Amino acid sequence: MAHSAPETPAKVTMQSAETRRSHDSIWRGLLPLALGMVLALALQFVLPAIVGQYNSRIVMDIGIAMIMAVSLNIVNGMTGQFSIGHAGFMTLGGYTAAMLTYYGSLYMWGAPPAHGHFLGAGEWMMAGACIVGGLVAAGAGYVVGLPSLRLRGDYLAIVTLGFGEILRVVLQQTSKVIEDPAALKAAKWSQLFPPPVGGAIGFADVPKYTNLFWVYTFVTITVVVAYRLKNSSLGRAMISIREDEIASQAMGVNIARNKVLAFVLAAFFAGTAGGLFAHESGVIISPKDAGFQRSFDYVIMTVLGGRGSITGVMLAASILTALPEMLRDFEQYRLIMYALLLIIMMLVRPQGLFGIHEIWQLWPGKGTRTVQKKA
Amino acid sequence: MTANPAPPNAAVPSSKETGKPLLHVDQIGIAFGGLKAVQGFSLNLPTGALYGLIGPNGAGKTTVFNLLTGVYQADSGQMLLDSQNLMGSKPHRIAAAGIARTFQNIRLFPGLSVLDNVRLAGQLRSSHGLLATLLRTPAHQAEEAAIRKQAFDLLAIFDLQDRANEPADSLCYGHQRHLEIVRALATGPKVLLLDEPAAGMNSQEKVELAQAIRKIRDQFQVSILLIEHDMGLVMEICERIVVLDHGVIISEGTPAMIQNDPKVIAAYLGGGVEAA
Repeated sequence: MAHSAPETPAKVTMQSAETRRSHDSIWRGLLPLALGMVLALALQFVLPAIVGQYNSRIVMDIGIAMIMAVSLNIVNGMTGQFSIGHAGFMTLGGYTAAMLTYYGSLYMWGAPPAHGHFLGAGEWMMAGACIVGGLVAAGAGYVVGLPSLRLRGDYLAIVTLGFGEILRVVLQQTSKVIEDPAALKAAKWSQLFPPPVGGAIGFADVPKYTNLFWVYTFVTITVVVAYRLKNSSLGRAMISIREDEIASQAMGVNIARNKVLAFVLAAFFAGTAGGLFAHESGVIISPKDAGFQRSFDYVIMTVLGGRGSITGVMLAASILTALPEMLRDFEQYRLIMYALLLIIMMLVRPQGLFGIHEIWQLWPGKGTRTVQKKA
Repeated sequence: MTANPAPPNAAVPSSKETGKPLLHVDQIGIAFGGLKAVQGFSLNLPTGALYGLIGPNGAGKTTVFNLLTGVYQADSGQMLLDSQNLMGSKPHRIAAAGIARTFQNIRLFPGLSVLDNVRLAGQLRSSHGLLATLLRTPAHQAEEAAIRKQAFDLLAIFDLQDRANEPADSLCYGHQRHLEIVRALATGPKVLLLDEPAAGMNSQEKVELAQAIRKIRDQFQVSILLIEHDMGLVMEICERIVVLDHGVIISEGTPAMIQNDPKVIAAYLGGGVEAA
């Protein structure tokens, strides 16, 4: 791009100025992604040296929570459909990704433990598996999104809750993990039903590829997508559904399509987060991860962060992930703390930390000058 | 879409022009259980016409709007916009086909900014899908810029452009009503349905509104159907008036005819002719 600087500005025709601008904006479109990856790379190499392994691990958990909360916010915050089955999509994506890497590694390299170094073949396999996991979760999101066309409020919440619980019970009925490469090569396709993913005890021995780089690369993708969605025609259509369905229809918004699209997108990112989660060291992904408890954690993050505020939800995800770790000694009080925090928030700031705004819109003198401070 | 081919001062096409009506509604009706809310409603709205729909409270005026916009599905009848059948269409299809409306009790998107309320209509004609949105392709960027510019042009009708970034619910009542009209116009309608646009306005505001409605009709070449309780306004600006009572049309004609129709007087004042 550097050599495209005009030596004689007068000679630059309209045409070439036009093409250069559009050429630039393709790169500008991908710039946030590149910046995010550089940041992720920096985190990967610098952070453990500064804050230590234990704290780096918490930062990794925060990243996964951010993906979950930001994606859930597309459904709950932007589109206004109350979903409390987000952990179900996460777990579905996680199991899918874990199956791919575990059996893939067993098949190709004869052993499931991590293969290759940083950015080696194993890690790329994991990244691909996360995306496949996301796609499978997105498929489930489509199916769960369909009832949202007829149900609203509490009733939809029950359906999404039911999805997570059904998945939890189904995963408990799965068969044992195949540990022997020879047995895997002799296995028949029919052994996929029920899938050999460990049943109630969970899917152990999934290779541990997840690191800060990959987590924050996926965080970047999720945040960029959510932000661009929010500031586009498509996103405005979704927000208008939250605000007033009747008026939204009257403005020509295809409510059915947008609701389902929100579910599919959110489920996709939840699936990728699940993939990262399943490959995190110290984690054994198990059926209980699909349950109500985990889903509710993410709902709390979106409520605390503010409906539709991406930065608010990211902040809430950070706080709510880091806090329990810092208060390890009081772990048994965690749920009481959550409940209290929610009650206090509802009383003091019902619209969430940032309300519908992003962090820079709240900065005095920046962004819109008329940010309302409503009680 | 905002381009207005005819300058405002040029001859406006007369409502009495020849040819087929823009909106042709024939004998539509709906019953809620045993209650026949609207029965046998017919209307022929020519291009560029400004018609009024009046009637006592509960006559079924808003129900007619809900039928025309697909919020309710008519039990029977026929509905054509520019020869395109609209019977059984979903509300968003009808909006895309060219019928836009405002609401009696304001239904703005309170959490969206004034600008975004108007910009929302851009998604109707957006040719770019999810991928272009997420990649921010140049074509998509250009389209967003065009949508933004169009929104500002429309906001200028009611001098709302300076308040574009404020939340819609921070506007005062009168401006909210104006914004509803602007938002409806943003969909690029052929027919604009205004549900009590003057409700709650003072007499000065009503005068301005009457001018604005005429201006919109001339500038955008839309046909307007207006529900209004303010008889002064209706009689002043409407070319023809349809009177509804108990879900049926009891009279139709020019303002002068309506004012002298005993059935209309009876419907409003009671007594006199007992409508069976």
